[in-house]
Amino acid sequence: MNDLFKNRKALYAGVAVAAICIAVALVLVSVLGSGGKKKASTTNLPGVAATAALFAGIPQRLNELGNPKASVTMVEFADLQCPFCHDYTIEVLPTIVQKYVRTGKVKLIFTGMHFVGADSEKGLRAVLAAGLQGKLWNALDLLYKSQGQENSGWVTDALLKSVGASIPGLDGAKMLADMSSAKVDNGLTSSDQEASKAGVNSTPTFFAGPTGGTLQHMDVTALTPAAFEPTLDSLLQ
Amino acid sequence: MTDRRLRAAIAVLALLGAAVASYLVYARYTGTRLACTTGGCETVQHSKYAKIADIPVALLGLISYLAVLATALSARIEAAAIGAAIVLSGLAFGIYLIVIQVAVIDAICQWCITSDVILALLAIACAERLRRAAGSPHGSSAPPPMAPPA
Repeated sequence: MNDLFKNRKALYAGVAVAAICIAVALVLVSVLGSGGKKKASTTNLPGVAATAALFAGIPQRLNELGNPKASVTMVEFADLQCPFCHDYTIEVLPTIVQKYVRTGKVKLIFTGMHFVGADSEKGLRAVLAAGLQGKLWNALDLLYKSQGQENSGWVTDALLKSVGASIPGLDGAKMLADMSSAKVDNGLTSSDQEASKAGVNSTPTFFAGPTGGTLQHMDVTALTPAAFEPTLDSLLQ
Repeated sequence: MTDRRLRAAIAVLALLGAAVASYLVYARYTGTRLACTTGGCETVQHSKYAKIADIPVALLGLISYLAVLATALSARIEAAAIGAAIVLSGLAFGIYLIVIQVAVIDAICQWCITSDVILALLAIACAERLRRAAGSPHGSSAPPPMAPPA
């Protein structure tokens, strides 16, 4: 051992080998512990790739999507079982994300409601739990894409497992475990309070305004991008 | 730069790294929201890659920085070698985590990047320390004793 410290080349080699061994061990444990790449192929949910692409690289913070310093904030009140909320997510959200959120101009806030029935609350708990890992919007999008008949029990454990396995970087098991956590309980209560405070009794309902300022109710006449753009454009001027 | 100053620089960098890691460990165990300008810190810190065998990566980082700090307190060549091995392995793992943040998680944690920069600086300092120590005929990075006056 003492010879190692007296021979310069042997010393360098020893340090390099030790460093490589430690680094490889750490990477291996990390990759194996995260489940490797197998999870991405364990699901056949609709629109998985499109959802991943839509939100890729956009900052998410709990129920917030986009640049935290965006000049305009848009809030959506929605129920996971509401068919019009589904239409908004499919028809309008991608355009808003690409045109306003990805460019850093607008940030979106999702406030979940759960008045339609048990599936609403179960789904909402799942997306709030995904939000604890910064993936609320991915989970929300995937659940809307798999939306079933109201109160038919469509938000199954199997569906939620598939959602968890379909989101890059999400720990699906942790998401399922967190659904009954105090943090998600608080998120649910907070959402209820926000909806009550804003006087929201139907979904989807939208508010928009300058970030940090007073948000105004958006009088949306149709669930098309064209119905949202004038309000957002005027706020951005 | 004298050997003493080089070790002092390593100690300061290790303390900075330990401070960053401590903040992340504190936030994880207390549920505190991280100050974050990149918007992706929470996403990264709550991802499945933020733990290794159920141990938070930030905690491993903290332990590693403290170990490097300990090696900086000793002038022995063994300490220089151990410090260099820890820092180089940490830097390699940090690069892996940057790739994961960009390619898999789709989020960047500014605290991780800060830690990686500190690790890169530490790697330079530790490599230089090791080079000097290896060049010393006494097997130590300490300067040779002065010859007594004739």
